[in-house]
Amino acid sequence: MLRIEHLTKSYGEKKAVDDLSLHIKAGEIFGFIGHNGAGKSTTLKSAVGILQFDEGTIQIGGKDIRKEPVACKKMLAYIPDNPDLYEFMSGIKYLNFIADIFAIPAAERQEKTRKYADLLELTSDLADPISAYSHGMKQKLTVISAWLHDPQLIVMDEPFVGLDPKASHLLKEMMREHCDRGGAIFFSTHVLEVAEKLCDKVAIIKQGRLVREGTMEEVRGDDSLEEVFLELEAE
Amino acid sequence: MLKVLLKKQIAEVFRSYFYDAKKNRMRSKKAIAAWIIFFLVVMIGLLGGIFTGLSLSVCETLAQLDMGWLYFLLMGGIAVMLGAFGSVFNTYSGLYLAKDNDLLLSLPIPVRTIMTARLLNVWLMGSMYSAVVLVPALAVYWVKAGASVSRIICGLLLLVIVTVIVLLLSCVLGWVVAKISVRLKNRSFITVFISLFFVGAYYFFYFKANGFIREFLLNAVSYGEKIKGAARGLYLFGRIGEGDGLAAGIFTAGAGILFLLVWQVMSRTFLSIAAAGGKTGKTRYVEKQVRQKSVSGALLAKEFARFTSSAGYMLNCGLAIILIPASGVLLLVMGREILPVLTEVLSGRPDSVAVLLCAMLCLLASMNDMAAPSVSLEGKSIWIPQSLPVTPKAVLRAKTAMHLILTGIPVLFAAICAAVVVPASVPVRLLLCLTALVYTAFSALFNMVLGVRMPILNWTNETGPIKQSGAVVAAMFGGWGFGIVMGGLYMLIGYRIGAVVYLLLCILLFGAAALAMLHWLDTKGAEEFAAL
Repeated sequence: MLRIEHLTKSYGEKKAVDDLSLHIKAGEIFGFIGHNGAGKSTTLKSAVGILQFDEGTIQIGGKDIRKEPVACKKMLAYIPDNPDLYEFMSGIKYLNFIADIFAIPAAERQEKTRKYADLLELTSDLADPISAYSHGMKQKLTVISAWLHDPQLIVMDEPFVGLDPKASHLLKEMMREHCDRGGAIFFSTHVLEVAEKLCDKVAIIKQGRLVREGTMEEVRGDDSLEEVFLELEAE
Repeated sequence: MLKVLLKKQIAEVFRSYFYDAKKNRMRSKKAIAAWIIFFLVVMIGLLGGIFTGLSLSVCETLAQLDMGWLYFLLMGGIAVMLGAFGSVFNTYSGLYLAKDNDLLLSLPIPVRTIMTARLLNVWLMGSMYSAVVLVPALAVYWVKAGASVSRIICGLLLLVIVTVIVLLLSCVLGWVVAKISVRLKNRSFITVFISLFFVGAYYFFYFKANGFIREFLLNAVSYGEKIKGAARGLYLFGRIGEGDGLAAGIFTAGAGILFLLVWQVMSRTFLSIAAAGGKTGKTRYVEKQVRQKSVSGALLAKEFARFTSSAGYMLNCGLAIILIPASGVLLLVMGREILPVLTEVLSGRPDSVAVLLCAMLCLLASMNDMAAPSVSLEGKSIWIPQSLPVTPKAVLRAKTAMHLILTGIPVLFAAICAAVVVPASVPVRLLLCLTALVYTAFSALFNMVLGVRMPILNWTNETGPIKQSGAVVAAMFGGWGFGIVMGGLYMLIGYRIGAVVYLLLCILLFGAAALAMLHWLDTKGAEEFAAL
């Protein structure tokens, strides 16, 4: 589903991501962990076509993000770490905007909006302007907008930040269901317990380089993920 | 505590003098000095100069008629108006919409101290505007009518009383605005209408000011008697400036009592309004049938939503949407009288009136510059168009289309009005319309190119990209330049080839440039937007 090969991206002299390769298959929840400034967001943003990278290739569903960006973006949804949305729109107008871009028929978008907004308890707030939303509400809206068009790949940057415990729990369930239906999820997190419980595979990035990757069992062995992570950080 | 808060408030007000938001760093000492000099020149040199001039023209006549009180009533009234209206929105935003209200309220600072600091700030700002009027007024009076100890003491008291009245009015008006804003839903449109009303009123009084003053001075005695008889309070207010201790005492006490009353009302309501954060009431969500839009339709609708959501955006970048059709109506009403006279005056250059009208329309069209800041206004939400399956070309075209629609329709209307009244042949009239329309397309694309080339995405206040960005300044002045060159060239040499050929050449030039810019936007411009 997502194939990153030898990705390199520099900001001036500093290499944010250095020769990173990752393969994420359909049906997988893939966790991406690393300390602040390790290169997680840069990798995620490159994968969804927001950032232009220096070297390497990124393919989504077999299509190159550089050569066929629109075709790739039709297959994916992105949830950023900070949900800076169109504050001048109401929640429902934003969802309709996203639905228009993905050409979702009116009946289908209404049904999905109802389903996910009810699930995340945002229905009663949909008519309010996004500027009046809290961080968590904005995060819920980006989650609904991501699930609205049934993407094959969902890329999320710290998706649990700002969500209340119930919404976090629901999001984890939605992620699992999405992958059970054949979708793939690639997300970054600092919450190692979440990664440990939720992910099928995990990758650890340090100073832009991949230092460990594999199934949860392969990465942690007999230790906890936290122990492995701290050990790698200390090296 | 109060000192610290006040220092912070004043530093915020004058922050732009010390801090360059665009470069995200402190200004150099030279730049700070230049900004302060600029401020002093505007406040003391320009505004102070205007009111010194006004005082000089009014003071002597009234002082000779022994009506110094009427002089102080007039100047005091102007000082109150300028101070109150100058700081009403400052009061509203400073008291109730301050971004750090939540932070300060969460700290162990008494609410009254926060409010006092905010009020002191409002008082200082109001005093600044009032002093610009009253200080020259007092100085001129002391020079022309003579200064005495009682006049100087009472004059200074008058200044203090005026600043307190300004503070009271600002508080009351700011409180009313805050109360209304908490309830209003279409705030941006209402702000636009109110602002347009004030702009209209300002220009009305500005152009009529000389007439008013002349009339006022001619009938000063009769007005004075009427005021003395019907409004004793106003007479006493004016008397303060003349050195009347009793009047000064009465007004000082009155202002003090009123201030205490307003203080009580505000102390009780400050917390509830400040905590409301200017949010509107909750809107009940009702599921409605929606119509599916195309990608380009959705992007265009988004641009319109952005434009109409912000009063600042509409006022600063779209004022010509109203001005252009208004000029068309003006042409229909007055054109048949004025244009033949102008044609006669400019008879040495045939059809120059038609070309000048066309150039004027182009100039007016350039006053609309909504496409120029549209890229910057994406701000931190630029990840949305970049991550969605839309081409950068489609995004840029939607922004250009918004500009084109909002300017093209008014221009077409005004051009038809001009074509109806201008004394010219049918081909010239047709070409006038066509040139104005082609120019509008050129202008929209010119704005868009500048918007892509000069984006500012890390703003904290949208006034930055809307008002102060390089793209907006270049778009507006560049546009005016094109209009002036177009009209000027015809008057210099263009008339020799005739209006038809000249306008055809303009169409060709603007059209070719527009096509070149469209090509750039679709290719290089789209790449630059994607890389932002």
